[in-house]
Amino acid sequence: MGSHSHNISKITQTICPYCGVGCGIGLRVEQDKIIGVEPLANHPISQGKLCTKGWSTAYAVDPIDRITTPLIKENGVFRPASWDEAYRTITEAFSAAIHDKGADSLGIIACARATNEDCYAAQKFTRAALGTNNIDHCARICHSPSVAGLRQTLGSGAMTNAIDDIEKADLIVIFGCDPTENHTVLGGRIMRAKLAGAKLLVVDPRLTRLARMADLHLQLQLGTNIALINGLLNIIFANGWQAQAFLDDRCENEAALRTKVAEYPPERVTRITGVPEAQLIAAARMYTEADCALLTYGMGITQYTTGTNNVISISNLTLVAGQIGREGTGINPLRGQNNVQGACDMGALPNVFPGYQEVAAPASRDKFAAAWQQQLPENKGLTSLGMTKGALTGDVSCMLIMGEDPVITDPDQNHVRRAFEALDLLVVIELVMTETAAMADVILPAAAFSEKQGTFTNCERRVQLIQPAIPAPGGAKPDWQILGELASRLGYNGMNWGNAEAIFDEIARLSPLYQGMSYPKLAVHYGLQWPCNDDAPNGTPLLHSKTFSRGKGRLIPVNHADPAEMPDEEYPLFFTTTRLNFHYGCGSMTRKSPLLERETPHGILFINPSDAQTLGIKPQTKVRIHSRRGEVETRAVVTDEVPAGTVAMPYHFKEAPCNQLTNNAQDPVTKMPELKACAVRVTNLEAETK
Amino acid sequence: MKASLLANIGQLYDHLTSQQSVFTPQSTAGTGELNWLPHSDNSQPITTDRPVLPIYPTKQFFFPDREILFQFDGSEFKETLPAPPPQILFGVRSCDLCAIAYQDQFFQQDPHYQARRKATLLVGIDCNMPCKGGFCPTVNAGPFVRDGLADLVCHQQQDGGWLLIAHSAEGESLLNGLNLKRADACLITQRNEHEKEVTAQFPSAAHIETGIQRINQAQVSAETWQAMGLQCLTCSGCTSLCPTCSCFTSHDRPINEGFERERCWDSCLYDAFQREASGHNPSARAGQRVERFWFHKFSNEYKKSFDRYGCTGCGRCEKTCPGVIGVHAVMKRISAAQ
Repeated sequence: MGSHSHNISKITQTICPYCGVGCGIGLRVEQDKIIGVEPLANHPISQGKLCTKGWSTAYAVDPIDRITTPLIKENGVFRPASWDEAYRTITEAFSAAIHDKGADSLGIIACARATNEDCYAAQKFTRAALGTNNIDHCARICHSPSVAGLRQTLGSGAMTNAIDDIEKADLIVIFGCDPTENHTVLGGRIMRAKLAGAKLLVVDPRLTRLARMADLHLQLQLGTNIALINGLLNIIFANGWQAQAFLDDRCENEAALRTKVAEYPPERVTRITGVPEAQLIAAARMYTEADCALLTYGMGITQYTTGTNNVISISNLTLVAGQIGREGTGINPLRGQNNVQGACDMGALPNVFPGYQEVAAPASRDKFAAAWQQQLPENKGLTSLGMTKGALTGDVSCMLIMGEDPVITDPDQNHVRRAFEALDLLVVIELVMTETAAMADVILPAAAFSEKQGTFTNCERRVQLIQPAIPAPGGAKPDWQILGELASRLGYNGMNWGNAEAIFDEIARLSPLYQGMSYPKLAVHYGLQWPCNDDAPNGTPLLHSKTFSRGKGRLIPVNHADPAEMPDEEYPLFFTTTRLNFHYGCGSMTRKSPLLERETPHGILFINPSDAQTLGIKPQTKVRIHSRRGEVETRAVVTDEVPAGTVAMPYHFKEAPCNQLTNNAQDPVTKMPELKACAVRVTNLEAETK
Repeated sequence: MKASLLANIGQLYDHLTSQQSVFTPQSTAGTGELNWLPHSDNSQPITTDRPVLPIYPTKQFFFPDREILFQFDGSEFKETLPAPPPQILFGVRSCDLCAIAYQDQFFQQDPHYQARRKATLLVGIDCNMPCKGGFCPTVNAGPFVRDGLADLVCHQQQDGGWLLIAHSAEGESLLNGLNLKRADACLITQRNEHEKEVTAQFPSAAHIETGIQRINQAQVSAETWQAMGLQCLTCSGCTSLCPTCSCFTSHDRPINEGFERERCWDSCLYDAFQREASGHNPSARAGQRVERFWFHKFSNEYKKSFDRYGCTGCGRCEKTCPGVIGVHAVMKRISAAQ
């Protein structure tokens, strides 16, 4: 901070770098330093409000511990290196791997926090410069089942409605998430709607803030979503509460669904879920009787081995009730990261090009091959977990990770560490020294969101411009520039863009969803919602209003299945993972704020008072949590937020890495790991020492 | 107090910007966001026809969100007192001027605050219409600028002309070279009458008045506070935008061989704000923290020390609170509760 004089020099209007809600923020700059944050009063989503993370953005990008020069590891220690040397080290290793084992021995992890332009560059680099489809990012572990499930049932995996629709609904259904913690400004709008008279139905094993405010809270057992929804559908069909005209007109496969849900009479569903029959009937009635019911869901649906089926199940419920295709209704998955929607839209996924154009379809391959002037690979790409498994078998030799920290955020931490150790070369593009960066052979310094231009796509499909407030520190560069330079050195010259806008124009040319967008248009409208094209020049707030993206809405019967690991004698408690209002992901940004860092202990085990009593645990008691994969020590918070028999940990803290414990059993469709449920044993460490 | 006549406010603005560094609320083209920004060639001075408050009050000019208090290089401590060039804040509304006067008292002994404050002259502007959500008359903070709270006060008269009132010698000397005509004393009387008319245009603030009474008579139940506490999402927006909020914390940041101590804005809505090292917290429940915040804004106990409430009626908390517990929502709940 220029401490001797102190004047505001400008306020840069941009978009908050945290969650997928996409609030507007102004960065207050004094002498090339971001001092504070101003909310944007006229922003259509945030309307002058921000959450605690947004308000602390100035700390998140503070230069104090930023990496400002390339670093190369030598004898286990990082030393500064020139960009030229770093690029040479990388291209030599990549070329050798391609020569020895083929391009499929390389893997790229893009980033749901980077811009669309960065993510587009990452997948183009992977496909056109390297010649593999091994590209993925952390949507794998948040909403890959939404994309997979909703594409089968509706034809599109994004939020069907606009955030504004919250105020147009007379019933809001919250399934497996707590928007007041993780999507706070959106959660606040739900509270506002509730106070203005909307009804609130919460389905969650936890007694969340919104559950405390709800008209009805179904506190189901962990991992019983499908049984619960099949039970609701059973009641709906039995009473004739379904939207029959909508089903006849717009949906298919109703008979098969009816047959399946007949197997889920209320008494069976109560036995599986623990939810009383009267509550099931009340919920079924509320949802079908509402004029406009807006359903929103989060990780409590997706992070299961049944993740894709859970999403399909949600879709079944919504279609049968006809609560979709109108304002104030719909299926609305809440995206975790600022740009996880965009990273998926850009095709930073192994199976799709930008705009969800299938790699497997020869026509899309031809289209992109022509546009990129390069032959493109046909091989099926690896997911992020496929890459770490490949690293352990020797099939994957080199990886490049853009701004993600899988060592902290991915399941089964020991597996991830072993995998990265086994690589010939690990390249990490980062702002700060994360746990993953510390394992790298080469680190390249990235420009933060506040130091570059680009776009983020929020959870309601709104593409918004971000603007640089200050110059990047030292030699840090936007990811797309770094990847463009690497591509050139590997002999591919299709990525020498002059600026971010040139990349966006290329995206708009190749992705029909973004076709009608440009930077000047985005600047005028506080962004535009896709699809935006000749038919919808000002974007599309509401999807599926006349037909579904796939034509008819498809009802797909699905069965309940227990989580892969259930409590037993040895590990008697259910374990689930959660997030805190105060932190974000691996904590690399939020933990730089002295206020957020002060707010909670560096690791927490949430435990119900009755389980705490059994184990002699009091608030702040030191505990050890054991699972079949590892153990973690932390301190207890005794709270009725978690039900008896279930304990929970937030995943933000490297001091108490809950992913030592989690199960990497996967959803067969998307390879989504089961982060929401496994079995653990808790020991009271203070009892041991007495 | 010396009053002069001014044909239009732009004349004064141009005069001031030609001699000193001037900050004024400016609207961003396209989005219409109103922020305090330095004067530039595109700047337009604000007018009175439709008063809109800038998102932030002016407190960050004197008490910045983050500021280094001192540095230690491993052997010696170094002072980091600011030495800002003289500056003018142009177009400060009455509510925000009352808040500056409030903070002037709170930070009386604070050299960092005072260094910035002493380098600053304040040009106030009377609000000729109520702003949306504002209730300054209820807490004696507007709509017209109180005597002595600004160096210069601009008042647009009902005939469209401007009355310029200097409240300090520094304010008066700013006008050197403008050759303004002395205003007739009756215009001051007319201004007082005009304020009564504007005050009468404000919507009823009965809920605020009842709420203040109930807070001071301890008539709000713990359950009512806790119900509102459940809605507190701990964002810190209210305390960040409140023009009188002044709580801060500090932390040390490593530099070279030593460290520097940074002071930053704190918020009493955080659980850890008052948590003690043992883990004990006198206000462990969110409801207690919400209660404390409003007690500090409306208690007669604090009024004794500051000669006014800690609320200046600007309504910014109402606009920024994601949990619907800004001032209007809270006071309505309190005044309606049994």
